[in-house]
Amino acid sequence: MSSPDVDVVVVGAGPAGSAAATVLARAGHSVILLERGPFPGSKNMYGGVVYPRILDQLHPEWWTEAPIQRWITRRSTMVMTDTQALTVDFRTAAWGAPPYNGATAYRPDWDHWLADKAEADGAQLLCSTTATGLLYDEGADGRRQVAGVTTDRPDGDLRARMVIACDGVNSFLAKEAGLYGEVDADNYTLGVKETIALPREVIDERFGVRDREGVDIEILGGTSGVNGGGFLYTNLETLAVGVVLKLGKLGAQQLRPEEIIANLKAHPAIAPFVDGGEVKEYSAHLIPEAGLSMMPKMTGDGMLVAGDAAAMCLAAGLYLEGVNFAMASGLYAGEAAAQALTAGDTSAAGLAGYRRRLEDTFVLHDHRKLRRAPSLVLSDRVQHLYPEMIANTVERMFRVDNPSPKPGLRRILNEERRRAGVKLRSLVSDTIDGIRSFG
Amino acid sequence: MLALVPVRDGVLPSGADEAIAECGGRVVIAGSGTADVAVDGIATEVVLVELGDLEPARWAHRLQSVFAGIDDNDVLVLPNSPDGRDLAPRMAVALDRPLLAGATEISTHRVRVARRGGLELHEQRPAGPFVATLQPGVRGADHVDTAPAVRVHDIAAEHDDRSPVAADRPLDAHVVEVIGPDVQTMDLAEADRIVGGGAGLDSEQRFDRLDRFAASIGGVMGATRVITDRAWVHHDRQIGTTGVVVDPTLYLSFGVSGAVQHTAGLGHPDHVVSVNTDPHCPMMAMSDLAVVSDANVTLDELLALLSADDGEMAS
Amino acid sequence: MRVGVCWKWVSLDNEIDPDRRWAGVSAADEAALEVALQLAESSSTGVTVVTLGPPAADAVLRSALAVGSESVIRVDASTELDSHTVATALATHLRSCDVVVCGDYSPDRGTGSVPAFLADELGAAQALGLVSVDTGSATPGDDASGPIRVVRRLDGGRREVLDVPTPAVLSVEGSVARLRRASLAASLASRSAPVTVAPGPHGRLPETEIHPYRPRARSLPAPTGDTLSRVRGILDVGGGNERAEVITLDPPDAARRIVDQLHEWGYLHRDDAPSGSD
Ligand SMILES: Cc1cc2nc3c(=O)[nH]c(=O)nc-3n(C[C@H](O)[C@H](O)[C@H](O)COP(=O)(O)OP(=O)(O)OC[C@H]3O[C@@H](n4cnc5c(N)ncnc54)[C@H](O)[C@@H]3O)c2cc1C
Ligand SMILES: Cc1cc2nc3c(=O)[nH]c(=O)nc-3n(C[C@H](O)[C@H](O)[C@H](O)COP(=O)(O)OP(=O)(O)OC[C@H]3O[C@@H](n4cnc5c(N)ncnc54)[C@H](O)[C@@H]3O)c2cc1C
Ligand SMILES: Nc1ncnc2c1ncn2[C@@H]1O[C@H](COP(=O)(O)O)[C@@H](O)[C@H]1O
Repeated sequence: MSSPDVDVVVVGAGPAGSAAATVLARAGHSVILLERGPFPGSKNMYGGVVYPRILDQLHPEWWTEAPIQRWITRRSTMVMTDTQALTVDFRTAAWGAPPYNGATAYRPDWDHWLADKAEADGAQLLCSTTATGLLYDEGADGRRQVAGVTTDRPDGDLRARMVIACDGVNSFLAKEAGLYGEVDADNYTLGVKETIALPREVIDERFGVRDREGVDIEILGGTSGVNGGGFLYTNLETLAVGVVLKLGKLGAQQLRPEEIIANLKAHPAIAPFVDGGEVKEYSAHLIPEAGLSMMPKMTGDGMLVAGDAAAMCLAAGLYLEGVNFAMASGLYAGEAAAQALTAGDTSAAGLAGYRRRLEDTFVLHDHRKLRRAPSLVLSDRVQHLYPEMIANTVERMFRVDNPSPKPGLRRILNEERRRAGVKLRSLVSDTIDGIRSFG
Repeated sequence: MLALVPVRDGVLPSGADEAIAECGGRVVIAGSGTADVAVDGIATEVVLVELGDLEPARWAHRLQSVFAGIDDNDVLVLPNSPDGRDLAPRMAVALDRPLLAGATEISTHRVRVARRGGLELHEQRPAGPFVATLQPGVRGADHVDTAPAVRVHDIAAEHDDRSPVAADRPLDAHVVEVIGPDVQTMDLAEADRIVGGGAGLDSEQRFDRLDRFAASIGGVMGATRVITDRAWVHHDRQIGTTGVVVDPTLYLSFGVSGAVQHTAGLGHPDHVVSVNTDPHCPMMAMSDLAVVSDANVTLDELLALLSADDGEMAS
Repeated sequence: MRVGVCWKWVSLDNEIDPDRRWAGVSAADEAALEVALQLAESSSTGVTVVTLGPPAADAVLRSALAVGSESVIRVDASTELDSHTVATALATHLRSCDVVVCGDYSPDRGTGSVPAFLADELGAAQALGLVSVDTGSATPGDDASGPIRVVRRLDGGRREVLDVPTPAVLSVEGSVARLRRASLAASLASRSAPVTVAPGPHGRLPETEIHPYRPRARSLPAPTGDTLSRVRGILDVGGGNERAEVITLDPPDAARRIVDQLHEWGYLHRDDAPSGSD
């Protein structure tokens, strides 16, 4: 057993990795943060909305320096069919002032900034370096304990007292450590996105915002019959339009993701927003969707797993939050690791504080609360029957059919439910599921 | 304005006719075999200087006196061929003038130089005499109908360059031999159909596929300099002014931006097809069919199409 | 034999408005360092890398240390200067070198003239635009080191073999060598290594207007050949840059469209006409 080069190797300088490295460095432990890209965020697509509240604990008053595009002051939820759209629109001035709520940000900016902060606190960031495997030590009792990583550099072994895997969705390291069970393709959705350039004034005008105000539109329906959802976010001088698609269905439908985005952009409710913009970037990435049910063991001997690597992304229809869960789980992993290092026990037992912290905070609480949400939101009924039912109901509510008198809401709803072929029983159970999840 | 054209064994470099035309037909031709240079039809006023092998430091030194004897030489234009490019800075220092390299347009009061790999044109208004190099292929040259007035400047009378250690002889490299075009590149230079790949193709393996696609339409594969620099494709396959100059009837480009150094070596194809994600790049503008699409996937699809449909044959 | 290398810190993303985080050195400059390291190894000396650029360029100099350069110097300058001024400033730090290796052209400025100016300033022989360098040809430890055998690219697919005496300035194409990867320990160590900073030259580029590239009108020889190609030739005069039909298609449709077009032009024919691929 040769002596370790550092206390901790953190693999992956995404939001999770940088948070973990920051906490460890501040606690006085030596930490190396490995990133395979030429700079942090270089491999990550232009992002969407981040909810940085958790940063209050890490970088107080982060909003004075974070590289954000626009503060989300307006959030719309849109239910759409091919020709109709019902929007619930919420605006608040409160989210446009400290301490803020959510913001749009470019991931190369955001990740770079977080990694810079980790470096400033003493972490050593090494880019263009890929972790290729794990190193183990044989314990006295025959237990194998993770003791570093191998990398793609010459003489690339890096020995450490423990490793934190923040290497993103489909974590190679967590799998290598045997922390994942069988992984099912159905547990992932495919996120695809286009970044569309428009002048700042045009965006301000089309979305009814000014200064740094921004809009987040989440869309149910609008995915060309493939189960999934859509989104539209405003950056300063670009829009992000994208869809999140269920993988299995996507294959069956023989539609290409870029066609689905094209259809969404052509929808009468979306086209006026994106009209005339120039596509700057197209990207696609897997999202761990199944939440709790697919999370790996997050703690091993000498190892913790955080962020998307541990399937922490909350992708439940109306929510697409991954960055905040990544930052939070990274932070807690860092705290637990610091504690274990100080106590001199980095075995799974010594690192148990990580799981406890996740349980006690929003990280696992939200996942537990929303555990039924993904399957509900992606279910065939919600995807294919409800949007039409709801849209038709509203359309009839507001249609003026003189000389016929206005029909009652209950009657319309019942007729539309029957016409859509939804059983009352299913509607009731879905509603209860929905209230349990989102209520 | 006066052109300076270096020759080897009486052979003009690429872009020589254009540099001469830019200067209204006035040229100093220097090098080896100057007596054999075919100047009819491209020049009006010629000074021949026999200087032997290209040795930029020595040449720059020797040529000063040649220019001293020629009027209207405030603007000295060399072709931006490999030899011109290497001689120009030495001339600029010898004459104590600024160098404007890689120009697409030169006049006494205005020069446009191509920058950022031909993405931009930088326009400058020189205040005094200067040396410039002209990008080959940017202007073409009209035929000059009158026979040129030819004068020989006897440099050997001024300097004895036969001894390699002459006192005033600056340090230069020694030419061991000149190797003619590789037979491997001849197929490219002479090909009637060429498929070119650029930085839009994302891996070395793509070029194996590009090669196969080229073969399937009866053509030959070439690449841009960005690709040969990465050693994904041997530099013998580089199309352009510093690579192989080609002249096919059909050119298909995949992920090529169309920098001037590339397109100037393309000849005049009858038909050009380009696949690029950027509809506005120069390569797309010079295509008959410009397809905005991912070049990598399109290439795969083309291969699939041409192999699945056996009825499709190159004619 | 002391070996110097010139590295230029440039943006590599080839955009009009480049993202500085993608900045680094070109393939040609990387190749130059590899050639220099090999030359130095065969004569057991060290390599000095010099960059003229802003403080942000220190990162690439540290990466040069990580692969085994002995010393690195940054000549401080944050604005662009003309090639002669750049070369003169670089030369100050390279006078003790027997060989200086450069990239053959920089991606942004792209004139390849800095190495020639540098050779002039150093009183060195130049060999520019090389496609190969025999790094074993310089004799180890020999004070009066012999010439270096190189191959230079000429036009028309020709090349020339040169023997370059020292002192020499070489400029190499990117494909000449692939820069070795730094070991993990060296990468880590170099991150805090000091970079020597020398004061830079003063100067400014002359007043310049910048435009997107546009081809100028070309004069073409009078068209020859059959009537059709003559007409075509005449129509093409003016750069032929207005001829595009631009269409956006998904790759499968793009492929089909291209095959159809090649068919229409007569480059492809279908055996079993008239059934098409669509
Ligand atoms: C289309 C789409 C839209 C999304 N929109 C949002 C949104 O609006 N809001 C939101 O909060 N979340 C969103 N997400 C989710 C969010 O992107 C992720 O949850 C988040 O990035 C997870 O952070 P992380 O640090 O765990 O992993 P990542 O950000 O994936 O970072 C992992 C890092 O590790 C590096 N790496 C991987 N393997 C190795 C290795 N072997 N060696 C060295 N380095 C390695 C990678 O290069 C990368 O930098 C979206 C995701 C998608 C796909
Ligand atoms: C002195 C000198 C001499 C030179 N000589 C030559 C020469 O002889 N020959 C030569 O070729 N170059 C030469 N160059 C280099 C030249 O300036 C250009 O840099 C080079 O031609 C650009 O190559 P490219 O088109 O492959 O790359 P880029 O300019 O980087 O263009 C890549 C293109 O691919 C497109 N693209 C990106 N992704 C995709 C995708 N997925 N699908 C489709 N398209 C995509 C982009 O839109 C872009 O248009 C020379 C330069 C100098 C300075
Ligand atoms: N600012 C600079 N600093 C260091 N080297 C340079 C600089 N500019 C040019 N060079 C060197 O000169 C080569 C050719 O560049 P250029 O003459 O600008 O095309 C580059 O590949 C570098 O090796």
